[in-house]
Amino acid sequence: MIGTILRRLGSAVMVLFLSTMVIFIIVGVSGDPLAELRDRQPPVSESVIAAEEQRLGLDLPITQRYVDWLGGLFRGDFGPSVQPARDIGVELGSRIGVTLQLVSTAVIIAIVLAALAGTISALRQRRWPDVFLTPTAFVLLALPSFWLAVLLKQWGIGINEATGYQVFATVGATSIPAPTEPLAAFLDTAAHMVLPTIVLILVHYAVWSRYQRTAVVESLGSDHVRFAVLRGLPRRTVVWSYVVRPSLVPIVTIVALDLPALFSGAVITETVFQWRGMGVFLLESITLRDTNAVMAWLLVAATAVVLFNLIADLLYLVLDPRVRNVSH
Amino acid sequence: MSLTEKPHFRPRTEAISIAGDGVGQFRIVLRRFLRHRTGVVALAVLVALILVAIITPNFWPYQPGEITPDLSVSPSLQHPMGTDALGRDQFAQVLRGLQQSLMIAFSVTIVATLIGTVLGVIAGYFGALVDASIMRLVDLALTLPTLAIAAFLGSVVPAGGVSWVALSLVLGVLMWTSMARLVRGVVMGLRKLPYVDAARTMGARSFRVMFRHLVPNVADHIIVASTLLFGAAILAETGLSFLGFGVQPPDTSLGRLVADSQSAVLTRPWLFYFPGLLIILLVLSVNYIGEGLRDAVNPKSAPVNPLDARSMRSARGVRSRAMGASHPATSPRNQESTVEVSTGRPDSLVEVRDFSVKFAGRPAVDGISLSLAPGSVTALVGESGSGKTMTALSLVGLLPPKAEASGSLEFDGTDLMSLEFEDWRKLRGRRIAMVLQDPSTSLNPVLSIKRQFADQLKMIGLRGQEIRTRAAALLEGVSIREPDRVLNAYPHQLSGGMRQRVVIAMAMAMDPDLIIADEPTTALDVTVQAQVMKTLAAARERTGAAMLFITHDLALVAGVADQVIVMQAGAIVERGDVETIFSRPDHPYTKKLLSLAPDLSQYGSSTSHSEGGK
Repeated sequence: MIGTILRRLGSAVMVLFLSTMVIFIIVGVSGDPLAELRDRQPPVSESVIAAEEQRLGLDLPITQRYVDWLGGLFRGDFGPSVQPARDIGVELGSRIGVTLQLVSTAVIIAIVLAALAGTISALRQRRWPDVFLTPTAFVLLALPSFWLAVLLKQWGIGINEATGYQVFATVGATSIPAPTEPLAAFLDTAAHMVLPTIVLILVHYAVWSRYQRTAVVESLGSDHVRFAVLRGLPRRTVVWSYVVRPSLVPIVTIVALDLPALFSGAVITETVFQWRGMGVFLLESITLRDTNAVMAWLLVAATAVVLFNLIADLLYLVLDPRVRNVSH
Repeated sequence: MSLTEKPHFRPRTEAISIAGDGVGQFRIVLRRFLRHRTGVVALAVLVALILVAIITPNFWPYQPGEITPDLSVSPSLQHPMGTDALGRDQFAQVLRGLQQSLMIAFSVTIVATLIGTVLGVIAGYFGALVDASIMRLVDLALTLPTLAIAAFLGSVVPAGGVSWVALSLVLGVLMWTSMARLVRGVVMGLRKLPYVDAARTMGARSFRVMFRHLVPNVADHIIVASTLLFGAAILAETGLSFLGFGVQPPDTSLGRLVADSQSAVLTRPWLFYFPGLLIILLVLSVNYIGEGLRDAVNPKSAPVNPLDARSMRSARGVRSRAMGASHPATSPRNQESTVEVSTGRPDSLVEVRDFSVKFAGRPAVDGISLSLAPGSVTALVGESGSGKTMTALSLVGLLPPKAEASGSLEFDGTDLMSLEFEDWRKLRGRRIAMVLQDPSTSLNPVLSIKRQFADQLKMIGLRGQEIRTRAAALLEGVSIREPDRVLNAYPHQLSGGMRQRVVIAMAMAMDPDLIIADEPTTALDVTVQAQVMKTLAAARERTGAAMLFITHDLALVAGVADQVIVMQAGAIVERGDVETIFSRPDHPYTKKLLSLAPDLSQYGSSTSHSEGGK
């Protein structure tokens, strides 16, 4: 089994490598990072532009640039930014921290809620509370996250105005300057996190709870549940060990495949709430035509995909003996 | 941006039913869809929205982007959705946005469906290396964050804006993966079917086989998936436009309208709510259509829930909404006492009188009466659909939810019709055990055999080592030679015959008075069938339980049963002791069954119960 995981990991790294190549070429051939510099009025001198081109390696052929970029990666260097003062690696580090703070809380809450609601919904199909949970999930699925984010943000502002207190902070991850005393710092972070976290929770809760419901419904109809009931096992044992346990196997993959998308999902949430996280980093880099910064972002996002696939494989090992004992 | 539910498909059974007649199948699907109420309502909403998007702009007095002297007016007759700060009529803007969203989502769906279908069919059809490389391509596409790439590509298009064609292409190219996976899965199931083989052997070229024979049979799945894709595409496009990377000004889209009105939520809410709610309505209706289509393509039977608390009587009688609220007739306490105190008549363990099971008024079991004596072995014989399985299921209280049962069912003096889940629990396993047909699905795949024994043995107060000892003894009782190895194994590590023995051991674990065996050997290899039958008969004999043995195979019955009951179309057509049935069958149906049975002598001699027929 370890062998299978290693093989999977190997193929994932291969895919990762190919995907950087594809992205590098797409990004490299589309758009000129110096367009803004060239268009500047009064015109910037040719020599300055040539110097910039050389600094960014634009004078080299694209294959050479890719090889250089890849070599730089191994030294922990993400390549030069369009803005000379910007160190992509350092900035990315802090951005990842901000995004993780937002995403991890939301993901954990969303998974727990989705697992609970999906299971309950399936156990009580077409009865209360399923008759409420299922349409709710459908509406949430249709809800564009940007609209929800803007709505919550503006309502937050409205509530702040109505109460006269700063209940919700709607801009950024912390106040500037952030309070230093631990309790105040915690409350400050919480006030900033509530609304964007709710957005992410709702969006992902909707998808995952539907999957969980389907999995449990399928599990409920299976023969082994029927046989467990026929053996007279207590209801609780049947529900936990025979209905829910087997249904966790499919949901794990789905969540693991969805998680990397949270990074791009977070693009919208971060933009609306002006968190300086990964999402906003990407948009800024795109606007600046900062090729290397975009590449760095994509590298992180793609690595996340590979990483979460690996985690899914490992969780499979724990949850599904059929995978664990494949060597027998 | 993912599909709402895991696409479920059952390639084997379903494909066969479609294979012959594609057009007929679509008509059936259409008819089923039209019965799906939410789906039809959703379709009406979507059609209405499309018509509004196409027709209204032709006679609407304001053009999108046209500046009127009415600045920031709230909704009125003249401007049903108000106007923005520049005096643009929001309704005209929203209409334009709706057109854009529909057009782009439509093209995205077509592009993604085309790519996904072609690659999926090729991967599924050729398999091996071709499949592996296409699946790597899928992995590759999945590592690319759709929104990010689309945003990037959207941003590099020269000023003047992205045309909707370009945007659709980009999104379509990035969204084909789910479709490819789905189609591949179905095609892999279809590939092995005889008619595909036949087409191939007759010299049809791969291309022809794929697109003439395979694609039409995946079409229903494709339609469902592309509907969901359409919804996802709307969200993707509006999201991109919201970020400023999709549709560019002066043109507009629903996403852009939301973006433009961000700060107006509290002051000029109409600007914000109308486009947003329209997106929700659009996607919601598309998703409900998808749901309706999925149900039409893959009709779900009524939800199965063996944990359902209702008794068969109330499930039959009470079809109203008030169901489940109260069951005044049967309080669990009362039932418990009946179960324990029951004196019953010694000459009959099970009494079935004038018992019927109906589905939507149509009888599956039609007024049957039978009785089983303690320690007797009764074979219930009939072809599939004769009602024998329904009879068995009603004796354990697991009739399908849509079934309406009537008549009387008694087990050792207890009225089975009025039992609820907890009352049943006192009977199931302890007094009535059942062995199901397919041992490969009867055991929980994620728990070890030992754990599954433990769940049961704990109920009779065994702990720790006692459980192991008892379980091992039970396994030895069904002729398993290495009980310890089997106890530590998981179901998938055992052979079919082994699994069915384990199932029999579990059924026997609490010394039941009645064992119901529903075609316990049908799913097994012919070579193991006889052994498993022997094990079952031996285990039964040891415990002295009564057995109801259900089968379509009269040959199996000969060696085991005392009494034979023959069922056809829900009714009992003949009953008698085993010799009589075999030597002097009365009913033509019994004669037919007998003529179909293979050589009976070899089974007949193998057990002590009778010398076999003839």
